[in-house]
Amino acid sequence: MQTYTYPKSQEWFQRALKVIPSGIYGHKGPAHGNFIPVENWPLVSAKAQGTYMWDVDGNKFIDYMCGFGVNILGYCDEDVNNAAIKQMGVGDCLTTPTHKIIEYAELLTDTVKSADWAFFCKNGGDATTGAILTARHHTRKSKVIFVNGFYHGVGMWTQKIDYPGIQPGDVAGNLYIPFNDIPALEKVLAENEGEIAAFIGTPYMHGIFKDNVLPEAGYWQKVRELCTKHGIVLILDDVRCGFRLDMAGSDHYYGFEADIICFCKALANGWPVSAVCGKDEFKPAISSLSFTGSYWQSSVPFAAGIAAIEKMKKIDIVKVLKDNSTKLCNAFDAAAKNNGFDLVISGEPQLFYFRIANDENMFAHQQWIAEMMIRGVFLTGHHNHFTCAALSDDDIKVTAEVADEAFKIVRKNNPQLQYSN
Amino acid sequence: MDQKTLAYINMHAIIGALENLCELDPEASAMVANEKPLVIAWDVAGGPKATMTFAKGRMRLDTGILPKHNLKMKVSSCAQFNQVVGGKANPTPVPKGGGVAALKFMLNDFTKLTGRLEKFLRATEEDLADPVISTISTKLMLNVIGVAISQIGDYDPVGKFSAKYITDGDVQISIKGDLGVTIRVKDHFLTTIKQRPETPSAIMEFESLELARALFDGKVNAMSCIGQGQIIMGGKINMLDNVNRILDRVPLYLAA
Repeated sequence: MQTYTYPKSQEWFQRALKVIPSGIYGHKGPAHGNFIPVENWPLVSAKAQGTYMWDVDGNKFIDYMCGFGVNILGYCDEDVNNAAIKQMGVGDCLTTPTHKIIEYAELLTDTVKSADWAFFCKNGGDATTGAILTARHHTRKSKVIFVNGFYHGVGMWTQKIDYPGIQPGDVAGNLYIPFNDIPALEKVLAENEGEIAAFIGTPYMHGIFKDNVLPEAGYWQKVRELCTKHGIVLILDDVRCGFRLDMAGSDHYYGFEADIICFCKALANGWPVSAVCGKDEFKPAISSLSFTGSYWQSSVPFAAGIAAIEKMKKIDIVKVLKDNSTKLCNAFDAAAKNNGFDLVISGEPQLFYFRIANDENMFAHQQWIAEMMIRGVFLTGHHNHFTCAALSDDDIKVTAEVADEAFKIVRKNNPQLQYSN
Repeated sequence: MDQKTLAYINMHAIIGALENLCELDPEASAMVANEKPLVIAWDVAGGPKATMTFAKGRMRLDTGILPKHNLKMKVSSCAQFNQVVGGKANPTPVPKGGGVAALKFMLNDFTKLTGRLEKFLRATEEDLADPVISTISTKLMLNVIGVAISQIGDYDPVGKFSAKYITDGDVQISIKGDLGVTIRVKDHFLTTIKQRPETPSAIMEFESLELARALFDGKVNAMSCIGQGQIIMGGKINMLDNVNRILDRVPLYLAA
């Protein structure tokens, strides 16, 4: 197979280094994005359509990161973009919001089981911060229970004491427990009786660098019971999973009801909007917050979001993603087995995570991801993946062929590892 | 800053760097050319205990107080020990057999030796223009930083928080070629070995001595270097993430 090179990406990156900290910062950059080795990665993209992304060198990728989850229907979806363009002609960020905010809130509360109201912001981190502020104001308590391996954005309260720029006071009220561990939750509740405002968690443990873990039977129901008993606000961070597991919310999928649920990523197929939704009981608290932003009530993302949700419902997005992702995971698994690799696939198929278990230190896995990349399949070595509705059987077939070749190369380069055949 | 952590850094990273200094610098080696070993123990109340052995042009630092020492240097606290290392206080010497020679060594050659170490660890721009000094300085810094990481991970309250998230294994921090240290993690306790691991769990490698020097001096940004392929990472990146959070605290202590 032909392999890619990235001279124009590198040219742009050198320019970026002069004017942008670290060139490209954050999870989309080479350092935090774990581009290993960096020369195998496209650094700057040019365009996208459906499930494909093209870089500035003209290389085409089947993109299994989907903009880290924002692409759910397909990049540049015609229906969503037309709705956005139509709204652009009318007005976006006005002095008072347009009626689109109301229509969007009505649609979300009709769609999400545990939502009596919707409050809009921009990023997932805004939504989780809004949820925590609401919980603290509602309970007049300060501490928050987190589940180890969490990610709830980049607000200071979400970071850890050893992160750059964080002072002990920023995270003083944070309590940490393992996932699926009810005794640990009971212990922390007993030790902090009367001081805890909220429990915040993701529907399942999709932390980075490790196998993703689904909730054990009865876990969420017990968490719900304990939160209710102790007067703690149960916040579900559905930023990553939202609308990929269940249009009614991932709490509905796992059979419980959150008090407050946070959405972003798939909410408007890439148009910038996030949402905090919750039960009536918490409406006064969130109404009282000093919490807003210049672009939080922009109408274009609302118009896009309305179109996106309507289309997701129409095409039964959850079924589409689950069927395609299951096929894809089976194709990866078959290619791995065919070449003697043990590919451990974890999490829900729509957000699959995998690692090559033949090498516990991940070097072989990183080599495989890098070989996939230069053959046009965009994966990551540390984070769960995403699929979109535009993924076709042909794309899965091409992916499987690339996977097979990449496995063969990694096997050839790693004779010291144990293989199953 | 935590005085206990600083005391462990001063003992194992700074005094421990004399091991490497004597290997790398002929002038330092000549100061400890004695055939008969001089064995001097440090006994810091509530802090590190270690024994220095000087002989045949080399120095070795062992953890704990070796029974057959010539001289014990007693210090009342970690803070006091840090003052001693900074030249602002004196320990209480407790001589045993051969103690007079050992005491004489501590008052004269040891002071010169640590002065020589300081010349490399706090090298000026002018010093670093000399490639010999620059090379020795950078090699010493790699070891000092490598050892300091373990002390911070084991004793500093924030460092211990980071260490809590590091799984067992060997992290390699190296400079392209053969220079490197191992941060060995076992049950969230860190130990530095002054050579590369045989089977690393994770690797962070700088492309050259010059780049390492620039990073140590804070003249280049690590994130930019990763983006340009000048720092290569691989393996269990979550281990590196947490080691890097500890590494981020090293300047806080080394600047003390």
